[in-house]
Amino acid sequence: MSNSVLGKGASPPAPASSGLKSQRLSNWIAVYGLLIVFLLVMIVFGVLRPSSFLSVTNINSILVSQSVTAMLALAEMIPLATKQFDLSVGYHLGMAQVLIIGLQVQQGFGWPETAALILVLSLAAGFVNGALVTWFKIDSFIATMGTGTMLYGFSNWYSNGEQIVGMSLPRSFTGLSMIYHGLPLPALYVSLIAIILWCVTERLPIGRNLYVIGANVRAAELTGINVSGHVMGAFIASGFISGLAGIVLGSLLQTGTPSVGPEYLLPAFAATLLGATSIRPGRVNVIGTLISVLVLAFSFSGVQQLGAPFYIQYFFNGGILIVAVGLSVYAARRRQRAATSVNSR
Amino acid sequence: MAVESPPAISIRGITKRFLSTLALDHVDLTIGRGEIHALVGENGAGKSTLIKTLAGLYQPDEGEIRIDGKPVQPWAEAVPVSFVHQDLGLVDDLSIGENVALVAGFPRTYGLISWKRVWTQTQDIYLAMGVDAPDPRALVGTLTAASKAVLGIVRALSQETSIVVLDEPTASLPGPDAQHLFDILKRLRASGKSILYVSHRLNELFGLVDKVTVFRDGRHVRSSSIETLTPDAIVRDMLGHDLELHHHSGAGVQHEATLLDVSDLCTGSQGPLSFSVAAGEIVGLVGLRGAGHEMIGRAIFGAQRQSSGFVRLGGEEIAPELSIADRIAKGIALLSGDRLQESAIGGMTLRENLFPNVARTAGALLHPIRLDRETNRVMGVLDRFDVRPRHESALIDWLSGGNQQKVFVGRWLATGARLYIMEEPTAGVDIGAKGMIHRILRDIATAGSAVLVVSSDFEEVASLCDRALVITRGAITAELFGASLTLDGLITRSALGAEPERLVQ
Repeated sequence: MSNSVLGKGASPPAPASSGLKSQRLSNWIAVYGLLIVFLLVMIVFGVLRPSSFLSVTNINSILVSQSVTAMLALAEMIPLATKQFDLSVGYHLGMAQVLIIGLQVQQGFGWPETAALILVLSLAAGFVNGALVTWFKIDSFIATMGTGTMLYGFSNWYSNGEQIVGMSLPRSFTGLSMIYHGLPLPALYVSLIAIILWCVTERLPIGRNLYVIGANVRAAELTGINVSGHVMGAFIASGFISGLAGIVLGSLLQTGTPSVGPEYLLPAFAATLLGATSIRPGRVNVIGTLISVLVLAFSFSGVQQLGAPFYIQYFFNGGILIVAVGLSVYAARRRQRAATSVNSR
Repeated sequence: MAVESPPAISIRGITKRFLSTLALDHVDLTIGRGEIHALVGENGAGKSTLIKTLAGLYQPDEGEIRIDGKPVQPWAEAVPVSFVHQDLGLVDDLSIGENVALVAGFPRTYGLISWKRVWTQTQDIYLAMGVDAPDPRALVGTLTAASKAVLGIVRALSQETSIVVLDEPTASLPGPDAQHLFDILKRLRASGKSILYVSHRLNELFGLVDKVTVFRDGRHVRSSSIETLTPDAIVRDMLGHDLELHHHSGAGVQHEATLLDVSDLCTGSQGPLSFSVAAGEIVGLVGLRGAGHEMIGRAIFGAQRQSSGFVRLGGEEIAPELSIADRIAKGIALLSGDRLQESAIGGMTLRENLFPNVARTAGALLHPIRLDRETNRVMGVLDRFDVRPRHESALIDWLSGGNQQKVFVGRWLATGARLYIMEEPTAGVDIGAKGMIHRILRDIATAGSAVLVVSSDFEEVASLCDRALVITRGAITAELFGASLTLDGLITRSALGAEPERLVQ
């Protein structure tokens, strides 16, 4: 155990407890860092634009518009817990959005049966992703990029690549995304999904298994965890939530456009990965994901109100993606260093 | 004789120190032309240090190396010596021809690689050694262990050096394949090459090598012609004293009931093997490093395919197709010898590392984890095994190797297994933790479980186990227990790989 590593706080604690103390302090900062950033964002922009930024209208409109990003980020989080990528969620979202509008407008279906059909399709798409990754051993990055692109092709085939305008949609459908007595309904859906996912990831054996698979798949196999079953389940859950998000997006926009869904992939990804740097540092987690969606949305809204042009969001999302991955790579390297310094004594 | 041609290589008084350790202490070694010279000794005798010095990786503190009579400095200049290491250094995803070309060079035409000549070059090199050339386009990953070893040698010889050093080339080869390799070596000798042959397997030296040099504790003990030697004499030189082999007539300690019963098990390069372990017994499954005996434990655990034979636990047959999860449920545990790759769940807490698969140890997949109850169990393990730091939320990465290993032993204890397969349970573990882990294993056995220690650490097996099964070339060649279970006995038995001394039913 070399002392040079001990000094940096990321190292294994020495017999004395000083190493452990500094370890715990740096841990505390890591755990609550993102929350502190969120509060800072609220305070800074609240002071700079007091009347508009903290208005109920602004907050509600952000909550409504970000609910789709949040749902997609939560969907993405599940396969990511096992270190598998699902790049199809954006295209999946797009397909669900196009179908929920299109089947009502063009085929005259009622919205509940359309929604049910979409969710069945979503489960099937998730199953295909899972099968490609677990049974055919295709790298998830490639497999889901392939299935996603095909879903995109399906959306374009169905809509002929054009926008489907949702004329005379029933009130019960458009009302799905409204603000009901001051409560934005989409935010309610996000909360429900988040609570369920939190219970699964933090309190059920399944959740721990998912994280163990992500941290060391070989160790997971050797402790008797059914790795393919869990990975399969993660992709199916991811598909299901992506489908839900698409239904909400359709209700929100009241149009079906194949190109809209894919735009959500990157923000969702950025939020999930940024979330993994906080609350439970080193692993994707529900609370961290939600806080990062809020941090990204409110800081973007803030700079917009200061006069920044619309395209700044792309720099924002791209930059956050790199920063988030950079931070987690850095943290992983510190852990690795700490581990090797112990084991190579 | 007026002029005698100088030996191919002559090493005089080489000394190498590492800090306070004297790895080589004025050692001498001379290899004549057209001679196969064996270098033997226990682990730590200085064989690897000498080879690494010849390869130019170490610069000796004293001494002289001469090749064909001329003084050379391998650490500063290129010398005409080629090396075949135990792991061969082949790239599985490349073809045979490409692997040869990595050493021999890629033939070029107008600056571009000429693939035609890459293939013919390989065939020529094989033919020059009198070996049938395989298809040079075949991927190395598809070759058998024996063909790979041949390729390793062929490739080393493409450098047209007069001296070849082979470092345990047969460690992972089954018997008949090793014989094929020996034929090639004899042909090389006939063509005038000099070969330094490092091996742990003393029996194979007879009929192959011309001379044997024994190192012990960094010193040169003896160099003599093989005709004047017997295996026992070599072992005596390696150990520095006479063999203490007590032959027992009576059986060992009587244990109540047979818990694990293995018959005619075949897996990978191992088998067929038959043995049994009783409840309350600690049995060592020992072999030299690289011998592949760890496959046996893995096959019993379901982590390695069992090609034939039967495994019974407590009288109940464990079917070959049973998953790891099923076997854990039936009471089999396996502690991997690869702590970092296969045990440590990096970035996760001690709690999660102790109970990674909660459904196995408490409740079902969809039953909420009782965190308070789990905390009590975690703290119980940390206290009992004196794990530091004593914090359930500390990351496993922060712990020393010894403390990590205690956690992994605790992980398996929590499954309440009946059979514990422990691979190298104390490798890379500090003395304190080692003693603790040995005590835990003894407690496990006393409590009525069976422990199978899969190990290459003879000292550990001699001090920990009730009985040891020595595996050589995939077969049980000796069973040692009681007073015959000594460090010397294990070294001798695994080095000689003799005929089965006592068959185990």
